[in-house]
Amino acid sequence: MKTAKLIIIGFGVIGKGFVRVLIMKHNEILKNHDIDLKVVAICEIDGSLVNEKGIDLESALKLAEKEELKKHNDWRSIKGLEVIEEIDADIVLELTPGNIKSGEPGLSHIICALKNGRHVVTSNKAPLALRFSQLHKLAEKRGVKLRYEASVGGAIPIINLYRNNMQINKIHSIYGILNGTSNFILTKMFEEDLALDIALKEAQEIGIAEKDPSYDINGIDTGVKLVILANSLMDKKISFRDVKITGIKEVTPESVELAKNHGFVIKLIGDVNKLEVSPRLVPLDHPLNVSGTLNAIMLDTDIAGSIILVGHGAGKIETASSLFSDVLDILRS
Amino acid sequence: MILQLKDVPGMLIRVLEPISSYGGNIISVTHSRGEKDSVSVHISFQIRDQSSLNLIKKALQKQKMHISEIRVEGKKYYTKKSLSFILVGHVIDTDIQDTIDRINTLGMVSDIDVVMPSPEQKSSVMMNVDIDERVNSDFVELVEKICREKKFLLIRSLD
Ligand SMILES: NC(=O)c1ccc[n+]([C@@H]2O[C@H](COP(=O)([O-])OP(=O)(O)OC[C@H]3O[C@@H](n4cnc5c(N)ncnc54)[C@H](OP(=O)(O)O)[C@@H]3O)[C@@H](O)[C@H]2O)c1
Repeated sequence: MKTAKLIIIGFGVIGKGFVRVLIMKHNEILKNHDIDLKVVAICEIDGSLVNEKGIDLESALKLAEKEELKKHNDWRSIKGLEVIEEIDADIVLELTPGNIKSGEPGLSHIICALKNGRHVVTSNKAPLALRFSQLHKLAEKRGVKLRYEASVGGAIPIINLYRNNMQINKIHSIYGILNGTSNFILTKMFEEDLALDIALKEAQEIGIAEKDPSYDINGIDTGVKLVILANSLMDKKISFRDVKITGIKEVTPESVELAKNHGFVIKLIGDVNKLEVSPRLVPLDHPLNVSGTLNAIMLDTDIAGSIILVGHGAGKIETASSLFSDVLDILRS
Repeated sequence: MILQLKDVPGMLIRVLEPISSYGGNIISVTHSRGEKDSVSVHISFQIRDQSSLNLIKKALQKQKMHISEIRVEGKKYYTKKSLSFILVGHVIDTDIQDTIDRINTLGMVSDIDVVMPSPEQKSSVMMNVDIDERVNSDFVELVEKICREKKFLLIRSLD
């Protein structure tokens, strides 16, 4: 049996989701993969839980739900960067929110982890969209892995599918619906003839859209994910600045209706070949016409032809599927 | 049809075969030696319709034959492509005739559908345009330029 020590940085929606799933699946992972996963540190903004024998995850979750993590027996005032340097671990899970201008705080966490010879698994898009090749070079130099399946398409295993199962394919094009919030809004506009601001309000009321939804509506979130796909699947060597972005803000109910009358639906599409994010007309019977918060990605390749993946682009439990895929992949290799 | 072929044995047969198998009636074949190892071959044939011509074209392209020109009844022949897009903005008030005329310099507007909620509000205009597939990227660039100038949102179809 192999024991693997994990450090979790960022104990929000995704961090807690990962821990919830680890509690659910710990024994199964032990039985099927002969790997004992132990969380040795959980870092928040103002301090961390640290226990080299493994943190009691149930109590950590319970206290975090009540925002009383500080009451946990393992609480210390030590922060993320120090933990990465000082606590022995195999993998650092970087799960903090990413600022698209600076990539921080995730960028510093990832660099520090790689420099200290730790593998990194992240759901944080911004550091990757800004410094993709630099981070990869660093990982290579230090002989560790940097994996980020959860950063694009949530639970959809697009990157690992290509890496593990489609190696000989050359990709001609990738089109993606990569943002659940904007897809939910466009679906509402299409199905209920609503104006964009009313559909957005509804999305906010049921917790799908954030209070400040500008990254989703303006296409920035889709653009960031497009950069990761372009670099990891098509080796384009681009940065966020290279992407031309038009969001959905100016999509009117009349344009949605007009599209419908002519057999189309309007979707916010990330077009990896053209390095462009924009609203596009998608035929009603096209496989990319997925509704609600679903994401969809279509690859056109030379050998396999077209491959279409549809699934949950976000969600605390769903996204954990991709995080575990990276964690287990690293530990098995 | 004019093709540039590699000067190796059996090449001509490989070109003639798909032409006749899709119903082409070959009238004449002439060839002239080009640069290096290539031969320029002119083939005249009769064919019953456009779709048979397209099948021949596809078959030759699949075999990586380089077709430099096709003429039908003396005029250059090209494969048509139909594009749909929606313009959102003050499309009518910004001289829609000018928009159409400029689009027609590279294509042919075949259908227009307009929804105008009220004169002050933005209108939405759906256009279908037939273009020569070889000018596709120039055409997209032209439409994007018009949209920037006239402040329209462009919603293009997937390719
Ligand atoms: N939510 C999804 O479904 C989803 C799906 C795919 C990818 N992602 C990505 O995954 C990442 C995490 O998302 P999330 O939804 O879990 O966000 P979240 O709920 O805001 O959680 C992030 C957590 O990180 C903490 N944090 C911030 N700065 C930190 C620092 N310097 N050191 C340690 N912890 C820090 C935050 O603490 P405070 O609350 O105290 O600031 C918060 O607890 C983001 O990059 C997001 O884009 C999310």
